[in-house]
Amino acid sequence: MVFIHQNLLTLITFIPLAGGVLLLLFPGERKNAARWFALVVSLIPLALALLGWMWFNAAPCNDLVQQACFEQQTLWFPILNSYYHLGVDGISMTMVLLTTLLTPLAILISWSIEDRVNLYMALFLTLEMGMLGVFVSLDLLLFFVFWEFGLVPMYFLINMWGSANRQYASFKFIIYTMAGSLGLLLSIQLIGLTMGTFDLTEIMVRWPALAPESRLVGVAVGVVKNVAFWLFVLAFAIKVPVWPFHTWLPDAHTEAPTAGSMILAGVLLKLGAYGFLRLVLPLFPVQAHNFAPVLAVLAMLAIVLGAFSSFAQTDFKRLVAYSSVNHMGWVVLAIAVAGWVGVGGQHDPEGINQLNAIIATNGAVLQMFNHGISAAAMFALVGMMYDRLHTRDLTQMGGLWLVAPVYGGIMIFTSMASLGLPGLNGFVSEFMVVRGVWPVSPVFELMVFISLLGLLFTGAYILKAIAHVLHGPLNRDAVALAHGRSLEINLREVVALAPLLVLMLLIGVFPAWLVGVINQTVTLLLT
Amino acid sequence: MTLETLVWLIPLPPLLAFFVILLFTRGNKRISDLVSVASILLTWVISIIVLIGALGTFHLGENPIITQIVWLPLGESVETSLTMGALVDPLGAVMLFFVPLTATMIFIYSTGYMASGHYWTEVKGEAHGEDHESDEHHEVVVDDAGRKLTQFDATKWKARFMAFISLFAGAMLILSIADSLLLLFVGWEIMGLCSYLLIGFWHNRVYPNQPNRTTPLKAGIKAFMTTRVGDVFMLLGIAWLYSVTGTLNFRETLYSGEMLLALEAPAFPTLGQSVPLLAGLSIAGSISILLFIGTVGKSAQFPLHTWLPDAMEGPTPVSAMIHAATMVSAGVYLLIRMFPLITVGWHGHGYPPAMKVIAGVGAFTALFAATISIAQRDVKKVLAYSTISQLGYMVAAVGIGAYIAAAFHLMTHAIFKALLFMGSGSVIHAVEHGEQHAHHEGHHFPIDFDAQDMFNMGGLWSRIPVTAWTFLVGGMALSGFPLITAGFWSKDEILADAWLHAPVVFFVLAAAAFLTGFYTMRQIGLTFAGKPRTHAAEEATQRDWRMNLPLIVLAVFGVVAGYVGVHEDFPLLGRLFGGNPFHHFVSQTLLESPEVALFDWTPVLLSVIVAVGGLLVGWLVYVRRPLEVGEADPLKKVLGPLYTLFENKYYFDELYEVAFIRPSQWLARQIYEVIDRGMIDGLLHFIARSTEWWAFRNKDFDTGVVNRGVDSMAEGIGEASDSFKYVQSGRIQQYLAVVAAGVLMLAAVFIWALFLH
Amino acid sequence: MIPLHLYLLVSAGLFCMGIYGVLARRNAVAILMGIELMLNAVNINLVAFWRYISPESLNGQVFAIFVFAVAAAEAAVGLALIISIYRNRETVIAEDVNILKW
Repeated sequence: MVFIHQNLLTLITFIPLAGGVLLLLFPGERKNAARWFALVVSLIPLALALLGWMWFNAAPCNDLVQQACFEQQTLWFPILNSYYHLGVDGISMTMVLLTTLLTPLAILISWSIEDRVNLYMALFLTLEMGMLGVFVSLDLLLFFVFWEFGLVPMYFLINMWGSANRQYASFKFIIYTMAGSLGLLLSIQLIGLTMGTFDLTEIMVRWPALAPESRLVGVAVGVVKNVAFWLFVLAFAIKVPVWPFHTWLPDAHTEAPTAGSMILAGVLLKLGAYGFLRLVLPLFPVQAHNFAPVLAVLAMLAIVLGAFSSFAQTDFKRLVAYSSVNHMGWVVLAIAVAGWVGVGGQHDPEGINQLNAIIATNGAVLQMFNHGISAAAMFALVGMMYDRLHTRDLTQMGGLWLVAPVYGGIMIFTSMASLGLPGLNGFVSEFMVVRGVWPVSPVFELMVFISLLGLLFTGAYILKAIAHVLHGPLNRDAVALAHGRSLEINLREVVALAPLLVLMLLIGVFPAWLVGVINQTVTLLLT
Repeated sequence: MTLETLVWLIPLPPLLAFFVILLFTRGNKRISDLVSVASILLTWVISIIVLIGALGTFHLGENPIITQIVWLPLGESVETSLTMGALVDPLGAVMLFFVPLTATMIFIYSTGYMASGHYWTEVKGEAHGEDHESDEHHEVVVDDAGRKLTQFDATKWKARFMAFISLFAGAMLILSIADSLLLLFVGWEIMGLCSYLLIGFWHNRVYPNQPNRTTPLKAGIKAFMTTRVGDVFMLLGIAWLYSVTGTLNFRETLYSGEMLLALEAPAFPTLGQSVPLLAGLSIAGSISILLFIGTVGKSAQFPLHTWLPDAMEGPTPVSAMIHAATMVSAGVYLLIRMFPLITVGWHGHGYPPAMKVIAGVGAFTALFAATISIAQRDVKKVLAYSTISQLGYMVAAVGIGAYIAAAFHLMTHAIFKALLFMGSGSVIHAVEHGEQHAHHEGHHFPIDFDAQDMFNMGGLWSRIPVTAWTFLVGGMALSGFPLITAGFWSKDEILADAWLHAPVVFFVLAAAAFLTGFYTMRQIGLTFAGKPRTHAAEEATQRDWRMNLPLIVLAVFGVVAGYVGVHEDFPLLGRLFGGNPFHHFVSQTLLESPEVALFDWTPVLLSVIVAVGGLLVGWLVYVRRPLEVGEADPLKKVLGPLYTLFENKYYFDELYEVAFIRPSQWLARQIYEVIDRGMIDGLLHFIARSTEWWAFRNKDFDTGVVNRGVDSMAEGIGEASDSFKYVQSGRIQQYLAVVAAGVLMLAAVFIWALFLH
Repeated sequence: MIPLHLYLLVSAGLFCMGIYGVLARRNAVAILMGIELMLNAVNINLVAFWRYISPESLNGQVFAIFVFAVAAAEAAVGLALIISIYRNRETVIAEDVNILKW
C-alpha cells in the first residue's frame, strides 16, 4: 500500500501504456478478449484515482510549489537538468479523476467497433497515458512530451475509424495543434535554458522574479517574456479552443468515432484550459493581466458565436461539437478574470476582486469537469443513434421518442445538464462563472451581458436537437434506416452512461464534495 | 421530528415519485397514478402540519422556520461560501396553503382526465413491415394539405405524465420553501423544463387541415425559449445581487435595514451622468428590473406573453398546473418576495423607476390581455388570456406597493383559476365523448372538428351540471362578484390600494375588470347556455368522479378562501371574520408592516359596478338570447376590425416571428457559413494551400536544381572516367612501361631528397 | 683488383638490355627472356657488392641463390601461362592479349 501511495501517479499514468503495448500482441481475431482486457486495464487507473481522491481529501495539498500531493521526483536528463517530476493539487486531481473516469466508459461505448480492435484499444490506452501525463507532470519538458504524445493516437483514431471526411479532419486536427505546439516547445526550451532547469516548481518561483531590465540570451527579459507568453497562449488557445482558433474542433469531433469524440471533448479540450491555469497565469502574470480583457472578448465570442453556429446545424454531431465551443467559452471567461486579478492576487492589492476571482476560477475548473461529463454523454448518445441509423442528419430523424423511450429520456436529461438547468451540474459552474466575472470591471460586465445571448441560444440549439430527434410524429423512414435493428438503447450503453448521469445529478444537487477540493487549491492560488 | 425537518421533506415526495415512476414502474398506469397521488397527498399533509405550526408560532415574521447547509464552499471561510436551505415565513406559509391544495386537486383530476382521449398524428415516411409498436393500426386519412394522418392514443404515456407533473409540483414546492434566490431559481428553472415537457407532452400531435397552427411541440419550445429570455436576465440580476451583498439569502438581504440602505446607492454613477435615464436607478432598482424581466417571462406579461396562450396545447391539467396553481404564480411570488428590494427608495410618495416600470407593465398587460380574451373562440384560450390579465393585476399591485393585496390575489386566483381550467377540461372531455357517441350513431364530423371551440358547444348546463355549477362559481370569483366569492375580496383590495396611491392604474384595472366580467359571462353563455349547437354537444357526458371531486373542492375554497382577507372596517363582515387576519399575518414578512388603509366606499362601489356591469352586459348578449347554430359572434358586428385585431392577438406572434425568430435563424446560418467556414476556415485553407504551393516549389527546386546538380556532377564524373578508361588497354608491356617510368621517377625523387639535401 | 664500378656498369647494362627486351619485344617468350636478363643483372650486382663490401658475411651469395630459385620458378610459371594462352588464342604476341581492358 505504501508502494502504491508513493508511486500513485506513475502507476496511474503508465498502467494504460503497459496495457496498450500488451494489447498489440493480441491476435487480431480475438476481438472480445481485446475489448475486455482494455476495459479491465482502464479500470485500474480509475480505481487508483478514486483511492488517490480519498487520500487527497484526507490530507489535501494545494500549493504545488511547496508541497504537491503524491510527489515523485527523479533525475531524467542530467545535462538539461530535467526531472521526472510528478505531483498533483486540487485542480489536477479533478482532471485526473475526469480522465480515468471517461476512458473506461469510452471503451465500453466502443464495443461495436469491429475493425482492428486490438490496435484501436491500444491507441486508446496510449492516449489515456498522454492525457494523464499532462495533468500530473511538474516538469516542463515532461509536460511537453506528454502533450505531444496525446496527439498521435488521436490522429490515428480519427483517421482509421472515423467517418466520411476523416482524412481532412484528422489532418487538420494534428497539424493545427502541432503548429501551436511548436511555439510551446520553443518557449519551453527558452525557459529551461535560461533558468537552468525545467522543473516547474522552481521555475514558478524564479521566472516571474526575473528583473525586466536584465538580459537573457542577449535580449531584454521583457521581450523574451512577451514572446514566450504569446507562444504559450497560442498553443493553449488552439487546444481549448479559444475563438477564432476553434475551427478544427467541429471537423475533428464530427468525424471521430464516438468514443474518440467523447475523449476529445471530454478531456483533450481541458488540456488547453489546464495549460492556461497551470502555466500561463503563474509564469506570465503581467502579460496575462494585460491580455485578460482581450481574452474575455474572445471568450464572449466563443460563447455567442458557438451557440449560433450550433443552432444553425443540421448535423447532429456537429451541433454537439459546437456546443463544446460554447461551453468552453465560459471556462475561458473565468480564466480571463483569474489573469486579471493575477496569481497570488498581485494585480489586486486591496483584494477587492479576490472573492470574485476565486468564485470565477472555481467555476472554470468545475465547468471543465462538468462539460467533460455532459459532452461525453452527449457524444455517446449521438454515436448510439448514428450506429443505428447511419446518419447524423437531423432532418432525416423525427419522433424517435416513440420507439426509443429510454434513450429519449436519457437524452433529455443529458441535454438539460448541457443547457445548464439548475439542479444539474452545468448550472453550478455557469452560475459561478457569471457571478465571479460580472463585478470585476466594466469590460467584464459587458462581456457577461453579451454572453447572455449565448446562454439564450444554448437553449435554442438544445431544444432544436431534441425536437428534431425525439419529438414530432414518428418518421418511419428513419426507423427503416436501422434495417430492423431496435433503436432503443441497450444495457451495455446504459451501463456506460449511468455513472455520467449520476454524476450530473449529484454535482447539480450537492456539489460541495467536488467544489470543496477545487476551492482549496484555487483560493490558495489567488490569494 | 421538528418543524425544521418537516419543511425539508415537503418537496421530497413528488420528486421521489418522479424518479420512482420513470425508473421502476415500467409505464404501468395504475401504479403511476397511485404513486403520484400518494406523494402529493403526503406533501399536502406535511404542508398542513407545517402550516399549523407556522400559524401557531408567535411572531413568525421574526422567527421563521429555517434550516440551512453549506452548498458551495468558496473562498477561505464559511462566510464567503454559499448556503442553501428552507425558510417558512408568513408568505411562505401562504404558499404552503394553496400550492399543495391545488396541486393535489390537479393530480387527482389528471388521473381521470388522462385516462381517455385520442388525437391526430402524422404518418411520416413509408411504412416498413418491421415496426409495429409505433403504428396505431388505425385508418389513415389524408387532410386537405396532403398529409397522411392517423389517430393516436392520448393515454399511452400516462405514467410519464404523472411523473412529469410530480416533478413539476416538487419544483414549485422547492421554490416555495426556498430561503435564497438561488434555490428559488433552481425551482424556477426546473418548472420551466417541466412546462416544456408537459406543454409539448403530445409532441407528435398535428392538426388536420391546419399545417401552420402551433403544434404542442412548437408550443413547448416557444414556452421554454420565451421564458428563457426572462431567465437569462434574471440570472444576471441574481449574480449582481450576490456580488453586491455577498449572499442570496432572503433574510440576510431583505430583512436587514442596513443592507437595503446600501442598495439604495445609484447603480450607474458614471454612466448616469451622460444618460439621464440611468441616473435615477439605484442598485436595488436595477436588480429589481432584471429580476422583473424574469417575471415578465414566467408570468407571461407583455411583451413576453406570447407563449402562454400557445401553452394551451398541453393537456388541460397542465394548463391548470402551469397557468393557475404554480408556474405563473412563481413569477408573481418572486416579485412579492423581493418586495423590499423593489421598494427601496419608496418612502410613501413618488415611485422609484423600478416600481413605475413594474406597475406600468402590469396594468397594461391586464387591460391588453383582457381585450384579446373577449374575442377568443377556444375555451382554454379565453382562460389563458384571462390568466395573463389577472397576473397583470398582481404585478401592478406589487408595482404600486400593495404587498398584501398582491399576495392575497395570488392565493385566490390560483384556486379559482385552477378550478376554471379543470372545468374547461371537463367540458372538452365531455364534448369529445359526445363526439364519439354521435359518431357511433352515424353523425359525421369533419376531421378538424375542434372540441375546444365554444361555438361548437352550447346547452351543456343540463348535460354536465357539476361542471357547470362549479364553473359558474369559478367564473364569478374571477369576475369579482361581490361578497360571496373570494375573487371579490382580493381584487377589491388591489383596486382600493390603486385608488389610494395610483389612480391611473385604478382606471386601467377597472376597465380590465369590466372586460373580465364580460368575457367570463360570454364564456359561460357560449358554453353552457341555450341549446346544443352540435351533435357532439348534444351527447356530451362527464361522469368521472376523479374529475368532478376536485372541482367541487376548489369551488368551496373559491367561496370561503376570500374571507380571511376581508377589510377589518368592512361593515359587519369585517368583524365577523376576525379583522383581516390575512393582512396581519402576511405583513410580518416585511421589516415594516404596511399600514392598513382606511376603508373607503368609493373604490368598492366602483369595482362592484364594473364587475357586475361586465357580467350584465355579457349576460344580455350571450345568455338572455343564446347563440344559435351557425350564428356568428355578435361582438364582431359591434367591434368590426377591432374584433379581428383582438382575435389575432394584435399579431404579436407574427411580429416576433419576423422580428426575432427568422433573423436569428438567418444570423445563425450566416455565422456558421460565412464566418466559420468562409472566413476562418477560408483563412486556414488559404494558409494550407499556400504552404502546399510553397512545398511544391520546394520540391521543384529540389528536383530541378539540387537534384540536377547532383546528377550532372555524377554525369561529369562518368564522362571523365569514360575518357580515362582507355588507360586500361589490356597490354602488358604498356603497363610495365608505366611501372618502369614510375620507378624511375620515384628513384629520382628519392635521390634528390636523400642526397641533394 | 678490378674496380667495383665496372661490375656495376656491366650489371646496369644487362639490366637495361633486359628492360628493353621486356618493353619492346613482341613475342611473349622474348619478354620472359628479358626478365631473365634483368634478374641476372641483379645477381651480378649482388655478388659484386658482396665481394667488395662485406666478403665475410654470406648475405650476398644467399640472396643471389634466392634470386636463382625465384627466377627459375617464375620462368616455369610464365612459360606455362604462355603455353596456355597459345592454346587458347593461337598467338604468343603480348600485344594481342588485351581483353582485360575497358
